[in-house]
Amino acid sequence: MTTKDDRPSKDPTPNKKALNRRDFVKTGVVAGLGSGVLLDSAEAQAQVPASGTQQTVWHYEADVVIAGGGCAGLTAAIRAVDLGASVLVVDQNFDLGGRMLHSAGRMSLGGGDPVQQRDMSGESDREGFVTVAPIEEPEELDDDVELLFTDLTDWSVVDPKGQAPYRYNERELARAWAENCPATRQFLIDNYVRFSRVAGTHGGGGLSRARLATCFLMLGDVTDIKAGTITAEDAGVADRERSSAFAPLRMNNASRSVGPNAVANGAALSRCLEFSAREKGVQFILHRRFDEIVREQPVAGRVLGIKAHYSPRQHPESGEVLQSLWQNGNIDERRDTVNIRARKAVILASGGHAGNPEVRSMFYPALREPAFPTSGRALLGSGGQDGSALIAGLRIGANLAGMQQNLSYFTTFHISTRLGTRDAYTGMMPGHPTFGFRGSAGFSVGSSGFEEFIAVNQVGKRFFNEVRLPARPGPSAYPGDRGAPGRGLDHTPLDWRNCRKEWVREMYNYDHGVHAALALNEGSEAPDYYSGPLWAVFDQDAVDRNGWELRYPYVSDNGYFFQADTIEDLAEQIYAGHEFQRVPLKYLADTVGTWNGYVESGADPEFEREMDAPMNRIATGPFYALSIMVIWHDSYGGLRVNGRQQVVDMQGQVIPGLYAGGEAVGGFNKHGLGKGHVHGYIAGTHAVEEPSL
Amino acid sequence: MLRLVVGVLGLACLIAPAAVAQQQPDTVLLERGQRLYQENCALCHRDLGAGDPPTFPALRGSDQLRDPVRVVRTIRQGRDRMPPFPGLTAEELSALVNYVRNVWADGSSNVTTEEVAAVLGGLEETLPMGSVWDGVFTEAQANRGQAAYEGACGTCHGHRLNGAPDDPDMRSTPPLARARFLRVWQGRSLATLFEFTRATMPEDNPDSMTEQEYVDVIAYMLLLGGMPAGDAELQPDAQSLARVVIRAGR
Repeated sequence: MTTKDDRPSKDPTPNKKALNRRDFVKTGVVAGLGSGVLLDSAEAQAQVPASGTQQTVWHYEADVVIAGGGCAGLTAAIRAVDLGASVLVVDQNFDLGGRMLHSAGRMSLGGGDPVQQRDMSGESDREGFVTVAPIEEPEELDDDVELLFTDLTDWSVVDPKGQAPYRYNERELARAWAENCPATRQFLIDNYVRFSRVAGTHGGGGLSRARLATCFLMLGDVTDIKAGTITAEDAGVADRERSSAFAPLRMNNASRSVGPNAVANGAALSRCLEFSAREKGVQFILHRRFDEIVREQPVAGRVLGIKAHYSPRQHPESGEVLQSLWQNGNIDERRDTVNIRARKAVILASGGHAGNPEVRSMFYPALREPAFPTSGRALLGSGGQDGSALIAGLRIGANLAGMQQNLSYFTTFHISTRLGTRDAYTGMMPGHPTFGFRGSAGFSVGSSGFEEFIAVNQVGKRFFNEVRLPARPGPSAYPGDRGAPGRGLDHTPLDWRNCRKEWVREMYNYDHGVHAALALNEGSEAPDYYSGPLWAVFDQDAVDRNGWELRYPYVSDNGYFFQADTIEDLAEQIYAGHEFQRVPLKYLADTVGTWNGYVESGADPEFEREMDAPMNRIATGPFYALSIMVIWHDSYGGLRVNGRQQVVDMQGQVIPGLYAGGEAVGGFNKHGLGKGHVHGYIAGTHAVEEPSL
Repeated sequence: MLRLVVGVLGLACLIAPAAVAQQQPDTVLLERGQRLYQENCALCHRDLGAGDPPTFPALRGSDQLRDPVRVVRTIRQGRDRMPPFPGLTAEELSALVNYVRNVWADGSSNVTTEEVAAVLGGLEETLPMGSVWDGVFTEAQANRGQAAYEGACGTCHGHRLNGAPDDPDMRSTPPLARARFLRVWQGRSLATLFEFTRATMPEDNPDSMTEQEYVDVIAYMLLLGGMPAGDAELQPDAQSLARVVIRAGR
């Protein structure tokens, strides 16, 4: 199904100048091209190797070509430039940062990294922003590479979902990651990133030590990356219902882990790295989707470059092409397809596959349902997390790794407690260029809010105990009381007791509600048997009980929020007004009647709601329906790489000249930023060592 | 209800061997003791008396249960970080003390209401009990509490205090105001809330705020929950907080 964001380009003025060589050169000069990036097309054709099966016309050339400007891509770009390479980054979005920009900026590294050491000594950061005392005791920060590696391959750890996060990790990958953590932390510090005190760890960071620090900036009169300051407006803290172009997600109060006036999240990481990359001369082509890897032979020989097509992100109402926050280093290139030659290497850092329902079906066929987009849809567009690296890699013979690890990470997918928006994961408010793609910010009711309504599927039937529907089992984390025996230092790596069945029985905490939400129902039709959208249905009494603010920008008339005087009318409105509602909610009125009977009798024989929370009648109009979304955080599983981040083929051989990192790779069950930045650092380091074509 | 029935049956099995040889404790009283335990103690000492050491001590097998007088005094007056429970009557205390000692100590406790009353008679007079609806905090205090809340609590518990973090990556947390909060905390004192919060929050660094900050945050929670402000501030003192009971309505 085509969504608004999927519509073909409406841009009426394709850049004709780009077809004219002389004008093109001028454009390049205006855009500030460094020498060696722009390539004369005649020269390029002469350089095509004789072994190539077809002539490739190269439009651009750089030592290192990177697909994707997120956490892995930006880090790889800066690292490669630092080592003397010319670097060109292609990103499908209108701005840089990927999902890093929208993240919480929490990064678990470790192995005795500089921030762990700083906190052990009790010192502040070099600018003196960190004024609170260390949060963790020195012994909890006393880390080394061996311990980190042990943690990352610890077969014995089982999470509250009964899954083992570490036992399927590629050992070579884990070793390289652990060895490069301390250097990557220092690298980030050297590129304007500021880190809070270390507090615990998260997301596959191992259970033995505290390794998590958060990226921050200080509130000030101006936004100045070099000085480390940001205005309240840019941080999004001046007005809770307004986002800035700088930070799509309102920044968090970091006074506890840094000091007064500190604000933290991924914007304090992403913008600092982007600033540094642009300052150091990395060049960017935005609005351009990476499609193909060009290799000497279809499945043999060296990788020569990539093909990428123009895919502008346009404002959903005005049609204007969206602009990045900063422009220096951008190349304004609008030809439909360009071929970009990599003299040394291509690095695939274009993200995972959570936004591509067909690829998602590789690990869970029911997740093919397109009603549930990826976690960054409005921010990144339909080209974000589209599995492009995986798809292009498979075409040239690359292997995959760890696809099953999507099922062994606790946040991979779950029911969001933010209702009334398709884009239930991102947090952009009006003021950010992409708010229009959401139309509503959604209303976050928390898990406790699920006590206040009934949840129905696409035919209007209840399908699960609503109270338990949004429950998430939680991670294995340090301190170890959330999925591992004892706390913190009490955790003993590789101890069989960590996963003995008595312990698993004690800490198991997963109700499988999300699977009921994705189940077949009467509205599921061949051949896809889509489960369809989900609806929270409640009445005016529920609104009054909870003080819910059902108003713009939280909800709007965008097909994800409905209000009616009768349940029958509500059902009709949903069928008429929601883009993925394929069948009428023919049971909704009966379901509400049955529910009210259960409330009267004090017992819900279908789902035993009376065991978990009080039950309330749905009887006082107006009646409301808010969409309930299944959301994805990140995907696990992707291209198989070795410890140098080189992509490996089906025969176990390295594909020369091809690197990958972050969510584009598989075999390493580590969450988000920590994985991406270290992968980028390793890939950038080794890509530069490749012989030049 | 189901849980309670199962619990009582389990209790009967547990105490049976000892009860044969000893004087039979009143099963009605024991059942009442179990209910009081669930309402007042299980929050920290947990259903099976295992506690959560070192934060919350275990009762199961604890030497501290040997002396019934000590147990009565501890519950009534508090000890270390355990809050006092001045609202319990002598009859309730005897039921509770017999329950915990029968289940987790030597299984032969039969302290009478009169014996408890005698212990209480030796303690200082308790002040009258009040509730959160009596104007127990000031608005200025709640405003200070908001600042502390936003730094230490808001990231996880959300700006609406409904347990919905603004960061979509984070799991929901317990609400700190309105119906769900009241359902869990109804009947408990602010001293219990104060000490429980100090012992467990912020999750990544418990007990890291000042006592004043914790009590200010509670004032903010009460304000957001619709309770009226008054003329005097809540004091960070377990003895006075113990006399303020959390109730859903006036």
